[in-house]
Amino acid sequence: MSRKILEIKDLHFSFDTYAGEVQAVRGISLYLNKGETLAIVGESGCGKSVTVQTVMKLVPTPPGRLKSGKIIYCGEDITHYSQKEMQKLRGSEMSMIFQDPMTSLNPTMRIGRQITEGILKHENISPDKAKQRAIEMLAKVGIANPEKGFKRYPHQFSGGMRQRVMIAIALVCNPNVLFADEPTTALDVTTQAQILELINELKQELETSVVIITHDLGVVARTAERVAVMYAGKIVETGLSRDIFYKPKHPYTSGLLESMPSAGQVEKTLTSIKGTPPDLFAPPKGCSFAPRCKYCMNICTQTDPDEVQLENGHKVSCWLMNPQAEKRELPGRKSRLSTQKPLKEGI
Amino acid sequence: MSNMSVKLPADAFRPVKQTSETSELITRPSLTFWADARRRLMKNKVAMLGLIIIFIITLMAIVVPVFSQYSYEQQNLSNTNAPPSTEHIFGTDSHGRDLWVRVWYGARVSLAVGVFGSIIPSLIGIIIGGISGYFGGKVDMIIMRFIDIVMCVPNMIYIILITLFIGTGPVALIIAFAITGWMGTARSVRGMVLQLKEQEFVLASRTLGASSLSLIFEHLVPNTLGIVVVSMTLGVPAAIFQEAFLSFIGLGIKPPIPSWGQLANTGISVFRIYPSQLLIPAALISMTMLSFNLFGDGLRDALDPKLRM
Amino acid sequence: MVRYILKRLVISIITIWLLATVTFFLLRTLPGNPFQTEKLLTVEMQERMMSYYGLDRPLMEQYFTYMKNLLQGNFGYSLKYTNRTVNSIIKSTFPVSAELGLRSLAVALPIGLALGVASARKRGKIIDYICVVIAVIGVSIPSFIMGTFLQYIFAIKLKLLPVSQWKTAAHTILPTVALALSLMATLTRVMRASMLEVTMQDYIKTARAKGLGEGRITWSHQVRNAMIPILTMLGPMVASVLMGTFVIEKIFAIPGLGQHFVNSITGLDYTMTMGLTVFYGIFLVTANFIVDILYGLVDPRIRLAK
Repeated sequence: MSRKILEIKDLHFSFDTYAGEVQAVRGISLYLNKGETLAIVGESGCGKSVTVQTVMKLVPTPPGRLKSGKIIYCGEDITHYSQKEMQKLRGSEMSMIFQDPMTSLNPTMRIGRQITEGILKHENISPDKAKQRAIEMLAKVGIANPEKGFKRYPHQFSGGMRQRVMIAIALVCNPNVLFADEPTTALDVTTQAQILELINELKQELETSVVIITHDLGVVARTAERVAVMYAGKIVETGLSRDIFYKPKHPYTSGLLESMPSAGQVEKTLTSIKGTPPDLFAPPKGCSFAPRCKYCMNICTQTDPDEVQLENGHKVSCWLMNPQAEKRELPGRKSRLSTQKPLKEGI
Repeated sequence: MSNMSVKLPADAFRPVKQTSETSELITRPSLTFWADARRRLMKNKVAMLGLIIIFIITLMAIVVPVFSQYSYEQQNLSNTNAPPSTEHIFGTDSHGRDLWVRVWYGARVSLAVGVFGSIIPSLIGIIIGGISGYFGGKVDMIIMRFIDIVMCVPNMIYIILITLFIGTGPVALIIAFAITGWMGTARSVRGMVLQLKEQEFVLASRTLGASSLSLIFEHLVPNTLGIVVVSMTLGVPAAIFQEAFLSFIGLGIKPPIPSWGQLANTGISVFRIYPSQLLIPAALISMTMLSFNLFGDGLRDALDPKLRM
Repeated sequence: MVRYILKRLVISIITIWLLATVTFFLLRTLPGNPFQTEKLLTVEMQERMMSYYGLDRPLMEQYFTYMKNLLQGNFGYSLKYTNRTVNSIIKSTFPVSAELGLRSLAVALPIGLALGVASARKRGKIIDYICVVIAVIGVSIPSFIMGTFLQYIFAIKLKLLPVSQWKTAAHTILPTVALALSLMATLTRVMRASMLEVTMQDYIKTARAKGLGEGRITWSHQVRNAMIPILTMLGPMVASVLMGTFVIEKIFAIPGLGQHFVNSITGLDYTMTMGLTVFYGIFLVTANFIVDILYGLVDPRIRLAK
C-alpha cells in the first residue's frame, strides 16, 4: 500500500451548465504507484482530463462540482484542500503539462521567467540560483543553447520546443507526480516520439511518477506500465499494459485495439467502433457502451455491470465476464508495434 | 457487493441486435446555436429587464401621441411652463405645449434614429467588410486605407458636414449615421472573415463549386453574425446619444419636432427654474441607453458562452 | 526599427495629405459662403471679403496655395475671427483642452483599469456587480446630462465649487470629473471583458499548475495580456479627449478647442475647419504611432513582426 503515491476513490465530478448537470466523471477509482507510468486512455470528452485536473483542483468550481469521492496523495487526504493549500502542492509535488504548447505558455513573458517563477514560489533560493536551475533544466529538456533560450519568448520556438519548455516548467521543482494531458496530440508525428522519449528519460532520472492521458494507444505502448481505459466518465478496464494489449476483456478496449494500425498487418482492414459516445447530460441506463457494443445483451441495456477482478490487478466492468454469459474471445493485439521499443514489465 | 454474483434469468444474456440507429442515437435534445443562446438570454434577468423597459418605452412612444388630446406642436401661450398636473402629466414648455405628448413623440424620433442609425451602418459595414476580407489583395488594401484615413477625423465632424449638406431632421440624421458609422463594423467583420476563410469548411464549399458571393453571405457572414448583432445592439444607445448630442448643439432635430436630445437641450436652459423639463427627457435618455446596454451585454454573454459562468 | 519608423512616417504623411485634400474639397462643396451668415454684409461686401481672402480664385489655385502654406505649418487666417490666424487660436485654446483632457485621463485611466481588474477577479461577487453597475450607468448617461447635474448639485445647490470658467484649480474639478466618468466607465468595461478573456487562456492554467497564487497570476500573467485591447482604443481615446469636448466646454464655459470644431463648421469658417482637421489628424496619427510602439513593448510577438 505504501507504494501508492496517489489514489483516487470513487470520484464523481459534474459541471452545472445552463442546460443541466453534465456528469463528466462518474465514479472513478485509480491509483498510481511510485515511479510508474499510468496511461488513461479514451475518446475525447470521456472525462480523462477532468479527472486529473480535479486532482490538481484546476477545474474552476463553479461551474464544476466535486460531488463525492476521495483523493489521497502520499497518504494524505487532499480532497478538500483549499486553493491556498493546493498552491503549495502544485508545481512542487505534482505538476502538469497540457495538450497545446502553442497556447499554454504566456506569450508576453520570457521563457526564463516562466520557469523561475515556479522555483521562486516553492523554494527559498536567490533569483540567480533559480536562473541557474532554469538554464540547467532547459538543457536537460534538450533546448540547444539554453542561456539564449532563457531570454526568449514562446513565439520564437516551434511547437515541439515549446512542449519541451512546458516539460521544463513542470519538472523544474522535481515533483513526485507529473500529469501529462495529451502531451503529443498537437505535435507532428516525428516530434511526438521525441517528446515521449524525453518524458520517459526524465521520469527515470528524476524518479517521477507519470499519469499520461491520451487517446492514442501507440503512446500507451511507448510509455505506460499500466493502463486505465475510460469510457463516458467511467473506467471500463484497467490493468497492466501487456494484459490490456494482448488480453483485452472489455469490448471497448478490444475495439480500440482493432482500430489501431500496426506494421505487419497487411491483410486485415482497420475496423472502427461504430457510433458515438453517449451524452453525459443524460447517461444511459445500463452500460454506457451498450449502444455501440457488438456483444450487447439484454442485461447490458438495463444495469451497469460492476467491476470483476482478474489476475495481475486486471479489472474489467462488463457483463461478458459474468459466468452466466456466453464466453467470447475478444480480439487483442496480435503482434507488437514494430516501431516501438519493448514494453516495460510493470509491477 | 458486486452485482456480478447475482443470479439473473437466462434471458438477460440474450444478445441484442445492434443497428446503426441505436449506436448513433443522440440522447440530448439537440439545441442549435441560436436556440441555446436564446435560452441563456432568457435566464439573464438583468438583460430581460432591459428588454422589458425597451418594450414599454417603445409601446408608449407608439400609443401616447395617437390617443392624446394634444398634438406635439399645439401651443397654448396662456399656460406656459406649467408644472406636472393631471391635465398635463409632464407639464408644459415655454410655448405652452404639452410635454407628455412631446416626450413620447420625441421618443419615436430618438428611438427611430437610434435603431436605424445603428442597424443601417452595421449592414453597410457587413457588406463592405465581408467583401474586403473575402477578396483580400488590392480591394482589401484600398478599402482599409480609406477607412484608416476617414477614421483620422472624429465622426462628429463628418456628421456635422453631412447635416449641413442634407439638412436636419430624423431621416437626415440616419443618413448621416449610415455614411459615417459603418467603418468600425467593416473592420471587425473583415478581421473575422479573414480568420474564417482559412478554415476547412470554406475550402470544402469552394471545392463544391460555391461562388464567391454565396460564400461570403451564406458561410462567412453568418459566422460573424453573433458579434455583429451585439455591436448593433450596443450601437443603438450610441446613436441615441449622438442624436441627443447633435440636437443639444442645435444641429440635430429642429423644433417644433421634438426629440429627447432637443427636449433636454431646451430643458437645460430653464433647468434652474423648471427642473422637470430637463429631468424627464434626461431620465428617459439615460434609462433607454441603460436598457439597451444591459440587453446588449446580456446578448453578448449569451452568444459568447465561454465568457459566462 | 529605423526602417519601420521611416515607413510609418511616409504612410502618415500620405494619410494627412489625403485627409487635407478630401476635407478641402468637401468643405468647398457646401452651399453658401462664410460671410453670408453675417446679415450686416451686403452682397457686394461679401464679394469683397471673398476676394480679400482669395476665395474667388479658381479652386485648384486656392488648393495649391493652401497646400504650400500647410507645408510651412501655416494654417492661414480664420475667416470669422478677424485678424487671427488659425495657428494662434489653436495655440491659445489647445493647452486648455489638453489640460482638461490629461486631468481626466489621469483620473479615469488608473481607476477604470483598477475597477476592471477588480471586477474580473471577483467575478460574480458583490464587488463585480458594483463595478459593472457603475460602468454601465457611466456609459448610459450622456455627458451633457452628467455635466449639467454635477454643475447643479455641486456648484449651484451646495456651492462647493465654481459654476463655470477655467481659472483656478477649483474650476477644473467639475469638468474633469464629468469627462472622467464616461472615460472611466468605458475603460472598466473593456478591461473587465479583456481580463475575463485572458482568464480563459491555457497559460493561466499553466500558471496555476505551477502553484502560483491568484494575486501573482493576475499581476504577472493576466494584466499585461489584458492590456493589449486597451492599448488599441487608447490612441483614438487620448486624441479625442485632448482635442477637447464640445459639450463639457460649452456647459462649463471653458475656452478650449472643442467649441471651435463645431462652430467653425456651422459658420463655414473653411480655414479654421481645415486647420483643426489637419491638426487633429496629425495628433491622432502620432498617438497611434506611440500606441504601436507601446504595443511592441507589451507584446513581444509584434516586436518581431517589425
